[in-house]
Amino acid sequence: MSGAIQKRDTVLPAPLGKAKGRAERMGASTSEFLAFELAGERFALPLGSVREILKLSPITEVPRAPRDVLGILSVRGRITTVIDLRKRLRMPPCEPTKVSRVLLVDNGDEILGLLVDQVYQVYRLHEDELELAAVVAGDLSDYVYGIGRPGGLEREGGGDDIMILLDPEPLLRR
Amino acid sequence: MSEDEDGVRAEFIAEAQEIIELLSRDLLVLDHGQKEGHPDPDLVNSVFRGVHTLKGIAGMFGFNDLGEVAHVLEDLLDQLRLGRTDLSQNVLDVLFEGVEVLQRLLGSAPDAPRPDLDAFFRKVGGELGGAPVVEPDLGAFGIDTGVLSVLTEYEEHRLKTNIDQGVPLYRVRVKYALTSIDTDLEDLKTRAKPIAEIITYLPSMDGGDDDAIELEVLLASRATADELKIALALSDDAELEAVAKREPSATIPPPARVPTQTPASPPTKHPSAPLAPSRDAGADALSLRAVAKTVRVDIGKLDHLMNVVGELAIVKSGVGRLLDRLRGDPEQRALIAELHRIHRGFERHLDDLQDGVLDVRMVPLGQTFDRLARAVRQVARDHGKEVRLAVSGADTEVDKLIVEELTDPLLHLIRNAIDHGIEPGDIRERRGKSRTGTLALNAYQKGNHVVIEIEDDGAGMDEELIVQSAVARGAIAAEGSADLARVDKLELIFLAGVSTAEEVSDLSGRGVGMDVVKTHIARLGGVIDVHSQLEVGTKFTITLPITLAIISALVVRAAGRTYCIPLTVVQEALLLDPADVRTVEGREVITLRGATLPICRIAQLFGLTPQAHDDERRGKEYVVVTSLGQRRVGLVVSGLEGQQDIIIKPLGKSLRKVRGFAGATDLGDQRVVLVLDAPSLLEELFLGGEARAARAGASA
Repeated sequence: MSGAIQKRDTVLPAPLGKAKGRAERMGASTSEFLAFELAGERFALPLGSVREILKLSPITEVPRAPRDVLGILSVRGRITTVIDLRKRLRMPPCEPTKVSRVLLVDNGDEILGLLVDQVYQVYRLHEDELELAAVVAGDLSDYVYGIGRPGGLEREGGGDDIMILLDPEPLLRR
Repeated sequence: MSEDEDGVRAEFIAEAQEIIELLSRDLLVLDHGQKEGHPDPDLVNSVFRGVHTLKGIAGMFGFNDLGEVAHVLEDLLDQLRLGRTDLSQNVLDVLFEGVEVLQRLLGSAPDAPRPDLDAFFRKVGGELGGAPVVEPDLGAFGIDTGVLSVLTEYEEHRLKTNIDQGVPLYRVRVKYALTSIDTDLEDLKTRAKPIAEIITYLPSMDGGDDDAIELEVLLASRATADELKIALALSDDAELEAVAKREPSATIPPPARVPTQTPASPPTKHPSAPLAPSRDAGADALSLRAVAKTVRVDIGKLDHLMNVVGELAIVKSGVGRLLDRLRGDPEQRALIAELHRIHRGFERHLDDLQDGVLDVRMVPLGQTFDRLARAVRQVARDHGKEVRLAVSGADTEVDKLIVEELTDPLLHLIRNAIDHGIEPGDIRERRGKSRTGTLALNAYQKGNHVVIEIEDDGAGMDEELIVQSAVARGAIAAEGSADLARVDKLELIFLAGVSTAEEVSDLSGRGVGMDVVKTHIARLGGVIDVHSQLEVGTKFTITLPITLAIISALVVRAAGRTYCIPLTVVQEALLLDPADVRTVEGREVITLRGATLPICRIAQLFGLTPQAHDDERRGKEYVVVTSLGQRRVGLVVSGLEGQQDIIIKPLGKSLRKVRGFAGATDLGDQRVVLVLDAPSLLEELFLGGEARAARAGASA
């Protein structure tokens, strides 16, 4: 499968014991993430960075645009550039499907659309369910903020809902 | 600073800017009048009032430097209007400098260090306090002492000046209804302006009743009484008599300025009379009223309105489509007819709304021209050149945003024209031209475009010098440069670094500028052309769209995609006969009415791969003949869909580097369509060709 799986395999367990204790004591420090699928992988962006989720409407291609720009569409009269997130993350491209969605995100300069394969759900992750970055190697490292493990490290198997948390700032900056 | 204060400050700046522009305009007319020998005293007074108002509001908003400068200018102007100082070129220079200083102060930040104004103050001081004027004896005239006693200082001065110049005086009695007196008076003033000067008007002592008021108007005019009667459209019951000079007599007391010294006759100004306040106050009231009728609006709000209009247009076309679908249904006939009627009405009102919003954005070019006129005067003086500015079409209207962006490029062209174009007087004489050079600034509307011409009758440009400069700076290859057409050689001045000036002056000729001018104009969707002839002159022609907000576009298809081409650049569209296509120097061309037209296939240009469902692949092709300035190219497309009014919306910042598109638009059926940027495409096609030629030349 894709390179992202291997990268997840290279994740080193971070010393989280201290953080976990604090989270339990205070019952706070939760963050919300919107999880979505790209090429069979589960990714997530901080919920606060996502303004809106759109169903796919016809996208107009822009000749001469950067390779990972899918095209433009009109969101309530505003021309919005849509980026194919697969291409930006150097994953194999594929045609959008019925469940494909466009996430509207604000990069400070403009609102961008990000095409994803499918949107899952919002996760509330405690501090002890987050492994912060510097642990993911390879191409993606610039964009990755950490790993999210709903249920925490102790949960046996770790399971399907492990997600790669993307850092919107470097991801959208280019 | 709080937002409120910011708003108030912005309001002040906008108002002050308006006043300064008006001052500048009046001064220019005054300058002209002075040179011709008869400056209009009304203008001096108008400038005085402008400065006075500026002083007032500057003080109110804490712009102390500005207020101080306005104050000293006011002093000088006061002396001028009262005839204590003569209006000389020196004085005008000081006044123009004053306007510059005001403009600079207004433009600087509130906390900027205080500029050194002392030198300017000294200059103004030097002009103040001219020689005392010999005053004629007003008492020698048959003017009621009651009238004389209430003249304002200015009115008295005007009266004396007219007497001095031997202009006959007239007294007119007119009766106006109280309800319409304001408009009646304005009417009288307008009628009098060309042939007479109204010195004063006062309610007469005896005339008038509850509904009407009788005025006594004192006029100075060289026209005869009969001419005046006709010109002023006086009714039969109006009296008009000449004020004769009396035989010298000692019985009339000398005129007194202070009313308390007035003998027997009671003050003629009735306290409740509408005309009672002093004339200056009356003028202030007038200007206040004018301000109340206009609204200053942030252009962003207008953009928003424009967007709403665009959305409504989309709604309209949605309804239209619905209507089309219903049409076939015979059972709904009544409903369809009704819907059709409503749709038509909606369309009409929407058109009105769109025109209205666009109209609000339009401002006359005159404001910009005035600023330029000031610059012309300044630059000409700095260079010791004699330049006459001839302006036409100042009332041509252009989108506000375009006007804002135009000032800098125009300023640059004008500086160039004076610095390099117009020769010193001696050289001009030797060339058989008049000593004074002429710089013409013409604007006019041409279809959907506004054309601005900057033309001088100066030295013209030597295209060989331009070519040398371009080669020296590596902008073009030396080989083949001699074969360029003359027009193309001149066009080289728009390349970065190319200059015609052999010596660098502080104003222009540093090789920066013309490329920036061109970029500026291109950003506004316009083009600039140049014509020049040695020793005859140079003419720059700028062609701009009237508005950036809404344009008509031709909707075309290429390789299954839809694009819009602004109609302003489209000359015609025709069917392409493949047999007509020839290849010249690696470029496809066709012959159109005897002229060679290079063509460019949109699908190829954009590297479009045919789409799977593209049924046009083997179909007909069309040539859309596109022209900008002197360049033409035929864009080859696979289908023409028709014409539509569109609102161009900008592409996002992440697509800013993509060349070839002016933006995108919503065609109304959920289709977002790219709008081709004709100036950048034409440039790309032609410059691309030149670059290829240059490379070929270099490798040969």
